[in-house]
Amino acid sequence: MKRLLAAAMVLCLLGFQLCGCGGGQKPGSEAKTPEEPKDPEVIKIGHAVALTGDASIWGQSESNALKMWVNKVNDQGGIDGKKIQLVTYDTRADSVEAVNVAKRMIEQDKVVAIIGAAQSGVTIAMTAVTEPAKIPLISTTATNPEVTVKDGVVRPHTFRVCFIDPFQGTVAAQFASTKLGAKTAAVLYDVGSDYSSWLAQYFIEAFEKMGGTVLGKEAFRTGELDYRAMLGKLKEGKPDVVFIPTAQKEAALAMKQARDLGYEGKFLGGDNWGSPDIIELGGSAVEGGYFVNLASLEDPDIQDFIAEYRAEYGSDPVLPNPVMAIDALIVLVEAIKKAGSTDGGAIAKAIEEIKDLEALTGKITYDPATHNPLNKPAIIQQIKDGQFIYVEKYVTS
Amino acid sequence: MLLQTAITGLAIGGIYALMAVGYSLVFSVLNFSNFAHGSVIMLGAYAGYFILTKAGASFPVALAGSMVAGAVLGITNERLAYRPLRVRNARPLYFMISAMGVAIFLENLVYATLGAHFYSYPEVLGRSIVRIGGASIGILDLFALAFSSVAITGLHLFLHRTKSGLAIRACSFDMTVASVFGVRIDRTVGLVFGLAGALAGLSGIFLGMKYMAYPTMGWITNKAYVAAVIGGLGSLPGAVIGGIVLGLLETFVSVYVSSIIRDVFSFSALVLVLLAMPNGLMGKYVEEKI
Repeated sequence: MKRLLAAAMVLCLLGFQLCGCGGGQKPGSEAKTPEEPKDPEVIKIGHAVALTGDASIWGQSESNALKMWVNKVNDQGGIDGKKIQLVTYDTRADSVEAVNVAKRMIEQDKVVAIIGAAQSGVTIAMTAVTEPAKIPLISTTATNPEVTVKDGVVRPHTFRVCFIDPFQGTVAAQFASTKLGAKTAAVLYDVGSDYSSWLAQYFIEAFEKMGGTVLGKEAFRTGELDYRAMLGKLKEGKPDVVFIPTAQKEAALAMKQARDLGYEGKFLGGDNWGSPDIIELGGSAVEGGYFVNLASLEDPDIQDFIAEYRAEYGSDPVLPNPVMAIDALIVLVEAIKKAGSTDGGAIAKAIEEIKDLEALTGKITYDPATHNPLNKPAIIQQIKDGQFIYVEKYVTS
Repeated sequence: MLLQTAITGLAIGGIYALMAVGYSLVFSVLNFSNFAHGSVIMLGAYAGYFILTKAGASFPVALAGSMVAGAVLGITNERLAYRPLRVRNARPLYFMISAMGVAIFLENLVYATLGAHFYSYPEVLGRSIVRIGGASIGILDLFALAFSSVAITGLHLFLHRTKSGLAIRACSFDMTVASVFGVRIDRTVGLVFGLAGALAGLSGIFLGMKYMAYPTMGWITNKAYVAAVIGGLGSLPGAVIGGIVLGLLETFVSVYVSSIIRDVFSFSALVLVLLAMPNGLMGKYVEEKI
């Protein structure tokens, strides 16, 4: 019995170690001080963005891009003659900070709408302030379904310009079926992650709707190292594609082991694959794999924007946040024009009615029931010669 | 399907066996579970990685290098963390606590120096596959299985055919009596840790090549420890059998029951074996084991 006790003790101990490595919060620098113009000829739009902290590479670029675009809109006459004034505050990608920022924007700066934040958790926290104040909030890259819909009820003033995570499953399934000619598929997903489970679910539904057959579905828990048992089972039916909607580490290992087992079909994944790690970890096994992404520097539709950004700031924008923020601004400008008012409720209603609006990354149509953009184009990328290459912009049917 | 499952199970079990032997070897002599073994394996994986990539050495050199690194680390570990306890005649419980300390220290040392980054080995053996009637096995798995068998057989021969091996076996029977008969205890214990460390280095480089090298590789050695306990701690054939049984059990459960509840079966098997046979499948009966 003592041995058993010892084993249990050790497992507990190792368990603690695994959980004990959280990151500390860096204190952020104070954002620019709010100005005080009570100018009725100005429309103030808030921008809540992570300018410091881990997410700042994207945040800085997003802030630059949005400033550039606001100047462009103002040069073209603004919104019905009124200039847009951007009020930018740093959220440090922190929920508490973002709530304070939202309060300050609404109470002191009197913004008519807010763009941000990029993170789902942060955006959900902000809705606690923006919803009661009836201020429209358009998130850039918050992909969690709960951002706009809580307990089956849509948050009336909260929107997003990106697609929701599970939608990538639909994109991957339709792409596999129409472009790769896949008739059969297998799914390997991480049961410990909502992201992965939902992508798997949406993929299976969409793939079967396209007339394909899903031969098998296997799950593992986050951090798994050995997938050979599951892959051996999935490989039996020789599926045309294997969909692995997981983080890059798990996906790379699974692909390596699938190739070791002699699987010769194609691999598909979601935007979590879009980290160079996957190439380093997966080596030759990940070559040829396709994955769905939010944006790409090679997207032909955004080349003009990239050229302008380079001319202005001397570097490439860090995607996808900059283009998503611009999409949000385009949606907002259109809605304010159509509403003919800066009242929050009127703007929100106008956003719901937006249909086939030409934004930067493609056409946007809002679903009034979920406040998500419908059939938003997604980018398909492929891993080729150790690089991510742009394959195409895919619009689901 | 059955054959493929059996082959995969054997490949996974082979790695468990190699690691479990290291646990059992130390336990047979000092009667405590050396939980620092997992950390030595982890450092062996890093050693192999850096010899291959930074020093640009060939695979056999890296293999030998990580075994040497593991052995040196094992011996140093014994000198610094266990010998002072042994000199004071401490109870096995204190050895185990010291071992946990070493494990945590080494893991955090890696975090502090190399960071949490995942290191992936270059593809030294290529991606070729060997087919055995309908089933396939990666060349690396086959090589790891073969080399592990050679290493374990070599260890067995060393223990039974050489004078030093005899000394180790004498110590595992009774250290006091062995010292009375002229066995140099410090040297023999050092040798045991050197051997266990070399095996750890070997497991490390195979694990690193199969998966990757990262600071918390430790969890997989938990399974090896379970294998050692199932086989009977202190028994080398038991460790091998325990490892293979656990590898096969996990693979069959993953394929025919569910991959999500695989670990439930592994740990239930541990509990059942301990309830039915408290000393494991091949363990010897000894009082006061921790």
